[in-house]
Amino acid sequence: MLVPIFTLNLNQKIIPGRVCIGKYDTAHACLTASTTADKVFIHNPHQRLGITGGRMSLSQSSAEISLLNINQTVSAITAGVLTQPRHGDTLVVGTPTNVLAYDVQNNADVFYKDVSDGANAITIGKLGRHVSPLALIGGNCSIHGFDSEGNDPFWTVTGDNVSSLTLTDFDGDDENELLVGSEDFDIRVFKHEEILFEMSETEAVTALCPMHGSRFGYALANGTVGVYEKLSRWWRIKSKNHAIAIYSYDLDGDGVPELITGWSNGKIDARNDRSGEVVFKDNFQSTVAGIVQGDYRMDGKNQLICCSVDGEVRGYQPSTAESRYSMMDVNIEQETIRELSQRRHNLLLELKNYEENQRMGSSGEVVHGKPSTAGDQVGIIPANTQLQTGLAINMGSEEKNKPPHVEIALATTNDTVIRAVIIFAEGIFEGESHVYHPREHSLTSNIRVPLYPPKDVPVDLHIKSMVGYKGSLHYHVFELTRQLPRFSMYALCTTAVTQPQGSVSFRLSERVARIVMWVNSSFLLLEDLQADEEGGMEVSFLSLRSNLPLVIKADPQCHMSIYTDDMELAGDLIQALANYLNLDDLQVEADFPSEVDQLGAVLQRVEEYHATRQRLSAEMADHSGVIRTLVVRAEDARLMGDMQSMRQWYGELYNLNKDLISGYKIRCNNHQELLSCLKQVNQTIQKAGRLRAGKSKTSVISACRQAIKNSNVNALTKIIRTGSP
Amino acid sequence: MDPLFLALSNFRRRNFEKCVEICTELLNKNPLDQSVWSLKTRALTEQVWVDECDGEEEGLADVLMDDNTIASVARPGTSLRSAPPSSAGGPSQTFRPSTQSGRPLSGVVRPGSQGGRPGTMDQALRTPRTAQTARPVSATSGRHVRLGTASMVSTGDGPFINLARLNVAKYANQQNIAKALFEYIYFHENDVRHALDLAAQATQALNFKDWWWKVQLGRCYYRLGLFRDAEKQFKSALKQQDNINTFLSLGRVYIRLDQPMASLDVYKDGLDKFPGEVTLLTAISRIYEGLNDLPKAVKFYKDVLQCDATHVEAIACIGTNHFYSDQPEVALRFYRRLLQMGIYNCEIFNNLGLCCFYAQQYDMTLTCFERALSLATDQGIADVWYNLGHIALGIGDINLAYQCFRLALVSDNDHGESYNNLGVLEYRRGNLETARAFFMTSASLSPHMYQPHYNHAKLAHKVGDLQTSFIIVQKALNLFPAHVDSQELLKTLETHFQTL
Repeated sequence: MLVPIFTLNLNQKIIPGRVCIGKYDTAHACLTASTTADKVFIHNPHQRLGITGGRMSLSQSSAEISLLNINQTVSAITAGVLTQPRHGDTLVVGTPTNVLAYDVQNNADVFYKDVSDGANAITIGKLGRHVSPLALIGGNCSIHGFDSEGNDPFWTVTGDNVSSLTLTDFDGDDENELLVGSEDFDIRVFKHEEILFEMSETEAVTALCPMHGSRFGYALANGTVGVYEKLSRWWRIKSKNHAIAIYSYDLDGDGVPELITGWSNGKIDARNDRSGEVVFKDNFQSTVAGIVQGDYRMDGKNQLICCSVDGEVRGYQPSTAESRYSMMDVNIEQETIRELSQRRHNLLLELKNYEENQRMGSSGEVVHGKPSTAGDQVGIIPANTQLQTGLAINMGSEEKNKPPHVEIALATTNDTVIRAVIIFAEGIFEGESHVYHPREHSLTSNIRVPLYPPKDVPVDLHIKSMVGYKGSLHYHVFELTRQLPRFSMYALCTTAVTQPQGSVSFRLSERVARIVMWVNSSFLLLEDLQADEEGGMEVSFLSLRSNLPLVIKADPQCHMSIYTDDMELAGDLIQALANYLNLDDLQVEADFPSEVDQLGAVLQRVEEYHATRQRLSAEMADHSGVIRTLVVRAEDARLMGDMQSMRQWYGELYNLNKDLISGYKIRCNNHQELLSCLKQVNQTIQKAGRLRAGKSKTSVISACRQAIKNSNVNALTKIIRTGSP
Repeated sequence: MDPLFLALSNFRRRNFEKCVEICTELLNKNPLDQSVWSLKTRALTEQVWVDECDGEEEGLADVLMDDNTIASVARPGTSLRSAPPSSAGGPSQTFRPSTQSGRPLSGVVRPGSQGGRPGTMDQALRTPRTAQTARPVSATSGRHVRLGTASMVSTGDGPFINLARLNVAKYANQQNIAKALFEYIYFHENDVRHALDLAAQATQALNFKDWWWKVQLGRCYYRLGLFRDAEKQFKSALKQQDNINTFLSLGRVYIRLDQPMASLDVYKDGLDKFPGEVTLLTAISRIYEGLNDLPKAVKFYKDVLQCDATHVEAIACIGTNHFYSDQPEVALRFYRRLLQMGIYNCEIFNNLGLCCFYAQQYDMTLTCFERALSLATDQGIADVWYNLGHIALGIGDINLAYQCFRLALVSDNDHGESYNNLGVLEYRRGNLETARAFFMTSASLSPHMYQPHYNHAKLAHKVGDLQTSFIIVQKALNLFPAHVDSQELLKTLETHFQTL
């Protein structure tokens, strides 16, 4: 296979995931990464060597490294073209409170901005219709887009903390869309400020990378990597290691990029974008820290550059046509033989089964109800055996300590028993699948499996169950798929419930019958709901999660109102409804008194935290000034040999230091509180946005932003209620 | 006459003490008179007011424990921290002596231009002791306490305003007093934290609409060392109102962050708004001088002179540059201009004397130096004697030169240059041991000079101590890599070692 064309050791630790490459002087690629002690290093091997070809001398690697002091934890780092008139790439460094865009070549700031939401992920590029490139910063529930002046023409909110960002032309209109992976397991596609698509995954999305066209790769916190083409997933694999970095690079030179993954155990592999097949792999001694591509040999071609946390760097070059041909030659032969023999094996097995069945059939003796033994080749069950499934709501029971849940019932139609059930469903079970495997003596013909869907999303349940007789060695496998409706965790209430305070009301130009159809399809109902005599509809549910009521009403003119105290649920319902009815735009009147009150309180707290923070930081700066003075005085005393006063100065220094540390702790707590408050605010805005659809949604979010910027709580409440300021 | 009117008139005429006196009397009668109270705060402030933009100096502690700069090894020519290499355009280190930081000597002495950034704490602490200009230990305490505080002004019975008991929130809302009160706290009491508190609340009370408060907030942050916050405030103030002072302050912030290019951008933005503004032009040329880009610095100093023909700093710097680029006649004209403008001190006559000598106007030379000696203070006299020594060397009077250098050492026994020259003289006389001692003293006193190292190395080479010579010539080359003589000496030594 491929061997690295260069390896070098930087003798610097690299923090995983904080690696980028930039051409700060427009010509020479410099590997840039975050290292220990809140510093960023830039490895620049070319500046002195000039553009002499051939293998570069890598002996003085330590002299080629320059360090940048950031003085704060580096949470994300990237380099790219941000400023048009200035030349070269700009380095953008994100910390939990700030974003710094830095012109490395001139040792000057491009901008330095406070982002109270933090910067978990950064990407640079052109977004949508914006003319100039933006540095997009993903923080806690919010995304900022800064231009080279430090203005933020782009701002939006998302469901949870952003953990990865990338730009790609998703819908093929020559404009970039923003892909956002967040900690609530969703990948969202933003076109301008509105969400185009949402894809649910099974864990926090830690990395995204654009590949070819509308294809993109993703990595999850549980060690899954995969490739999506638009909304459909082409493949995914799961490993017990974590994928630290993913990158798309055409390593085998066939014109289509492969997905390169760097794993926590030091493995690097390249996978075919279509099949997920490994085409190349290599191993590092320690965890992979990052993967980039750049022209590191100054030969006009980009190499794939991989770094490990210990500072080891390897560069790979795509294989050339000839070497690929020779490699393919061997490969294809072996591959084909392996594949054919596999198929032969499968066919032989199948044939054997058929023969066995035929023998049984021809012998005429039908032995139902008898478990197969080791001697038998096949276990027999009656031909009319069916596996019935049913979804139902179970209100749970106090004494068995079972909360209310949805359950799936499996039953056979005769005396056969179910030996085991494998249910595969994304996002319901930990690890995506659930195996029910009762003990030998407690086998029954019907089984109930409880389900606790944590989110209101439609789920496909892929069920495989083994059916046969007790003690049998051979079982028949029944495969079937059931869909769990989106709002399955809401039980129909037959008795009257108190109407919740919060409500959303809107008018649809639709027939009530279609609304009824929608309710039937997305709730788990025992019998289909019908519109009442006047043509209206009123139905109430009880949430199985929180035990709170939900009432949906529609009058014959199709004035709809949804009553619930949970703003998020209302948003989900409206989004689902809008999706079902294909609505372009939906404006609603929302009234959530408790939520609004809470928001007001939170905003007030944010204000207070800001004020406290300012005071605390002034105090700290004052202290640190004094500390410096004390150090100098103490050192001065030491140089003069005046041990008495040196002791005194150091004593004072010690006390002051203790003060400073306790002050720091207070500041830390304050900051944490502030963060959680801001997150809450962003989430509320997001929820308010989800109550609307289409254009209204975007305008609500931007109006909310404006109101928060002006710290106008009244306007904010009004926007949340009516949708316009 | 109405006493308040009298007080106001005194304030206008800058009789601040008289004004304060009258105000105090009035306040004794009616302590709640706001107009008198605010007049008194203003008078007290004016007494101790200092221009921060020019008089600011980085403290020793801030320089040593600097964690604000981003790049620790910046590209040459983009940082004020590292001593830049002698640039292509200007005269080399051989002709133009350098300051302790390794920068070429400037035309004027300004805060920070002499010290530079020391490498180690040892060096930093020793340097100010030997040179007679001590640096303040810290910006937050040292110089500001000395320059602008009330400690110099004796107040009869207790402080005028008790800051600890001041209701900041109340005064922050009264705009008519808040500004005067802020300046009082900031300049007179020098209590930045309280001032910051007041400014923060006042700007909030005005819904962040007043640029003046933003500038003041920025100044407070700057003094506290929170440069990033200061930057934010200054920038936000500039959005509302273009003001020269704000541009200058923002530029200073970037200098403290060691981003001279960014501050040049700020100053140039300022120049777009205020074309021909002298302070901005001066600030630009100072940065170029700090970056060792002398041709550019001189260009901007010339721009300054276009706008303000009596700008002392610009004239002096251009003069110095001409002198060291071998045009003493032109330099002479600049120094004469300074003399015309009424600057009458030891340094100017010293420079005039040197210019005359090198411009071959020997009749004036000694007269100028006599004038310089008669005007000299303790600080400057060593330099005058040292220069006289040079004149003596020039006319070949070795004995006079020897005496002059000795006299320089009498008035300042840390004068490294004199030790070096004395060493050379002793060497010529054949007193090699004495010469060696002089060179070593000189090298230890002025770590920025390469000459004593080279001389020492040469001496060691002469007496055959090749090892010492080898070691010491490398020290010289460290300080001045392009020094041809040292390079040649090193080469001879190397070939010598190779043949061994």
